[in-house]
Amino acid sequence: MSEHIRWCRSRREFLTDAFCGMGSLAFTQMLFEERARAATANANPLAPRPPHFAAKAKSVIFLFMAGGPSHLETFDPKPLLNKLNGQTRPKEFGEVKYQFVANNARILGTKRTFKRYGKSGIEVSDLFPHQAGIVDDLAIIRSCHGDMVVHSAAQYQLFSGRIIPGFPSMGSWAVYGLGSESNSLPAYVVSPDPDGALEGGQPMYMHGFLPAVFQPTMLRAGKKPILNLDLPPGVELDTRRNTVELIRKLNEANLKATVEAEDDEFRARMNAYDLAFRMQTEAPEVFDISRESQETLELYGVGKEPTDDYGRRCLLARRLVEKGVRFVTVVHGGGPGNLQWDAHEDIEENHIRMAAQSDQPAAALIQDLKRRGMLDSTLVIWGGEFGRSPEAQGGKGRDHHNYGFTMWMAGGGIKGGQVVGATDDIGLKAVDKPYHFRDIHTTILNQLGLNQDALSFMHQGRKERLTEVHGSVIKEIV
Amino acid sequence: MRRIVCPVAAIALAAMGFAANSITQEKYTATERRHWAFRPRTQPQPPGFTTPAGKAWTSNPVDAFVLARLQKEELPHAPPASRQTLIRRAYYDLTGLPPTPAEVAAFAADKRPDAYEKLIDRLLASPRYGERWGQHWLDLVRFAETDGFEYDTHRPDAWRYRDYVIASFNADKPFDQFVREQLAGDEMDPANHEYIVASGFNRLAALRKNAGNQEVASSRNEVLTEMTNIVGSALLGVTLGCARCHDHKFDPLRQKDYYRMQAFFAPVHENDFVTATPSEKLAWEAKNKELDTEISHLRQAMKGLKGEERGRMMQRIRDTEVLKPGPLPGLYGVKDDMEKRSPIHVLARGDYQSKGDAVGMRTLGVLLPDGSPELDPATAKPRMELAAWITSPENPLTARVLVNRLWAYHFGRGIVATPNDFGRMGARPSNPELLDWLANRLVEGGWKLKPLHKAIMMSNAYRQASTSPASALGMEKDPGNEYLWKFSRRRLTAEEVRDSMLSASGRLNLKAGGPSIMVPVDEELTKLLYKPAQWQVDQDPNQQHRRSIYLIYKRNLRLPIMEAFDAPDMLISCPRREQSTHAPQALELMNGPFANDTARAFAARLDREAKTPEAQVALAYRLTAGRAPSPRELKLGLEFLKANPMSEFALAILNLNAFLYVD
Repeated sequence: MSEHIRWCRSRREFLTDAFCGMGSLAFTQMLFEERARAATANANPLAPRPPHFAAKAKSVIFLFMAGGPSHLETFDPKPLLNKLNGQTRPKEFGEVKYQFVANNARILGTKRTFKRYGKSGIEVSDLFPHQAGIVDDLAIIRSCHGDMVVHSAAQYQLFSGRIIPGFPSMGSWAVYGLGSESNSLPAYVVSPDPDGALEGGQPMYMHGFLPAVFQPTMLRAGKKPILNLDLPPGVELDTRRNTVELIRKLNEANLKATVEAEDDEFRARMNAYDLAFRMQTEAPEVFDISRESQETLELYGVGKEPTDDYGRRCLLARRLVEKGVRFVTVVHGGGPGNLQWDAHEDIEENHIRMAAQSDQPAAALIQDLKRRGMLDSTLVIWGGEFGRSPEAQGGKGRDHHNYGFTMWMAGGGIKGGQVVGATDDIGLKAVDKPYHFRDIHTTILNQLGLNQDALSFMHQGRKERLTEVHGSVIKEIV
Repeated sequence: MRRIVCPVAAIALAAMGFAANSITQEKYTATERRHWAFRPRTQPQPPGFTTPAGKAWTSNPVDAFVLARLQKEELPHAPPASRQTLIRRAYYDLTGLPPTPAEVAAFAADKRPDAYEKLIDRLLASPRYGERWGQHWLDLVRFAETDGFEYDTHRPDAWRYRDYVIASFNADKPFDQFVREQLAGDEMDPANHEYIVASGFNRLAALRKNAGNQEVASSRNEVLTEMTNIVGSALLGVTLGCARCHDHKFDPLRQKDYYRMQAFFAPVHENDFVTATPSEKLAWEAKNKELDTEISHLRQAMKGLKGEERGRMMQRIRDTEVLKPGPLPGLYGVKDDMEKRSPIHVLARGDYQSKGDAVGMRTLGVLLPDGSPELDPATAKPRMELAAWITSPENPLTARVLVNRLWAYHFGRGIVATPNDFGRMGARPSNPELLDWLANRLVEGGWKLKPLHKAIMMSNAYRQASTSPASALGMEKDPGNEYLWKFSRRRLTAEEVRDSMLSASGRLNLKAGGPSIMVPVDEELTKLLYKPAQWQVDQDPNQQHRRSIYLIYKRNLRLPIMEAFDAPDMLISCPRREQSTHAPQALELMNGPFANDTARAFAARLDREAKTPEAQVALAYRLTAGRAPSPRELKLGLEFLKANPMSEFALAILNLNAFLYVD
């Protein structure tokens, strides 16, 4: 594991730290721009900053399908699978390592049927009738792969590019790079599934060694989604306003430095109190989805089961992005495996249930963003930490599978209505245009106008970035 | 230039004529060896001053070095801090706690010339010193009491290491001994309980365990990687971890160097040294049996369930499993197992499956003569060899790295501004002579820290005010205060914020040591755990009011106040706390349950201990800011109290810059 931070306190230190080691002349212009950006960042780390180059997307919404949805039951039809049902894998497909099943496990055919949809005629399974309806907006990447076959490590890699905890997540990197467009809402929000946490736990969403200002705000279930945003019981808003006023006046009385700049930290803290109070009074409005029209609520499936919960949270994601929030992760699945997409025991039972909860809300989000003219500036990503094995586990289930699986991207400058890459004929390995998580990350940064090399943070003599090894932009879709 | 070779090893190797394949061909260039941190320490003498003012300010050699540097930059030093500022600074610095109002008053009134020296001596002798400075060490070695990753399994005996660290600091254990015990305590004496606990240092990292097919080789590789990297960052101050995948891009650390260092750990395995008595064992077995029975009943009941109901039952089973007692009471340490020694290869790109040349034990090549051989693989007690090299008085890194850390914790910035990176990409020392002078003093003084703290804190540089008549010039020429033209104001750390709030409210429980405490947290936070039932709150309020260092370090759940105020995540070594400022800190201190609960207790104390509103405002300031309120502050406080409750006033005080910063 690598070492920790050195966060710079002075502007000069920031400039020296952030750029030593970057020798290439090709970077000169970017370096210049990055310095200008860094200077802004130093005054207020959340101030909005221009990207490195023209951005397609302003915000990102990640629909995280936790536990690993099967590519074979959703977006990657494999007729051969049904023909080989019950047999061991033919040798020509090669070997892989699974978490539970052995290499001689029997192939499991799928009960799902696939049909072509939209102008693009892309095949989607009957699990996703709603997503089938928006398929012309989706760039479906069938050749994703990662390095780890267990949840926690795969989740860390999906979020932070590393298979160990302690590194900043993509949401923290995005805010570190671009700042916040909102002065009354957090810039990076995670909406976890109310059924419980995931294997990777909190560290997968976190800011790692980046300063705490880039940490995610974890939304909570129920009416009080942000920690500490509500007044404590028994305290009236008017009283609290007086308290905040007292804090400001007493802090002003304590300013005493000979030159103003010496009290910068004191002033920054006073401003943080102003922002906190503003969040307290203004943010609750954005969480109140009752202001939406009945038609919109129905579009997301709010008010009926089993879509109510995920529908609400997808709708909230749109409302947050509308107010300038930079990065929202909406997690579907949590708690024990069977309440995630983690279908070890019975792929049918699990996936039919999980799809019924999230298909409509996911499709509604795209439709809703589109009709509001927000899809062009909002990048939406769908996917899990891996896919599922072509072989059966225990007869009806599928094991984890990181060698080839599907994710999709839409909006934010992504060219929809196409399929990129392919797995082999049984969906075992990505064989055509394989794209690693680091390529997904590079593409996300690219759409945000950020260069994967320039967006770096120096610590311990090492220029850390989201893509540890240089990734490629998925050029087919941008 | 002198090179360092472990004497024992060198003799053994010479005797055997041991030579690895191409090792004799490996070379480090003169340029690589010339980097300042790899050179032997010099013997700088404190600069002399001839002017009366210069002489007067530099009776302490530390000041002579500081003043010489300031003069070179044409910057004046600041006047001394007031006595009430100084005592608060010294208290927080050495104990992490504020002085009581009575202590401040007594010190302000004490005009004896040695009053300050006595104060420093008293604080260094206080058991609170180890709690404050032990925390710095725990940050560096990323101490936590759970595995991290998905199970985040608790390590119920890991607190013993925390107590060991605190006790070692309090006893002023020589640092070379402290390092030997941690790296190789089990090799020093496998029957010595303290040493075994110390050896737990080698297994403090997060640990990935998973169900199903075990990737034994990959997991072992991760464990060995952690053991090796922490030596680089915490002890040697070099980014050794960078050389795991390839030769270090900037420093003369070859990939082979990395794996040769790793080879010292090849035989290291876990040692859960059981200390339970026979009756404890019986009780432990009974409890396990009872819960196993319950779990098997639940499993039985799950058989007919489907879908979500099945999921809920899985959750119940998991919650019950968490209640099973952890390992038997014991010591969390390591041992060598020569039979199970991992073969060490250079791994291409750090990938455990891409094995290159096999390598054996050797310390860093750039600090050895070219072609120095590896140790005999049969060398007994290999980590003692490694520790001997690290703590050798001639090792150019160890002492410098340590004194720099000391300096950085005292002044907020190291002489080398990058305490874990003394390599080429790290910062250059702002005062190299001072760094070497301090390092020499450490080694000559038997590696004891307390005399060094005293030398630093007795300096005029340390006793400067945090603002200066020459601030305009200082801020222009040296805004980061690299050269110490004033004392740098700092924000309280997360632990200091929490402990000081408890202290102001009169609730702080100073009981030291023992198993770690879990305090109540919002249910929504435990829900973020994969196994919420792991969070078992200690219901005794007195326990909940212990110092922060005695609260559990759980990798997957940090307390909101800790997280907001930049406590590290204990996943990677943290040499320097951030001091960030953002709205969630304000929300935590204004609306958080801990803040409001503590403010109510603080308000009750103000009501109890002061009779008039004037006295209450004054006491509030004395308990938090360590000073009386100014007339303006007093007036504002009194106005507020006319129309608002005391609890809101108390809360406001706990949110003030005057409380949250040390001047």
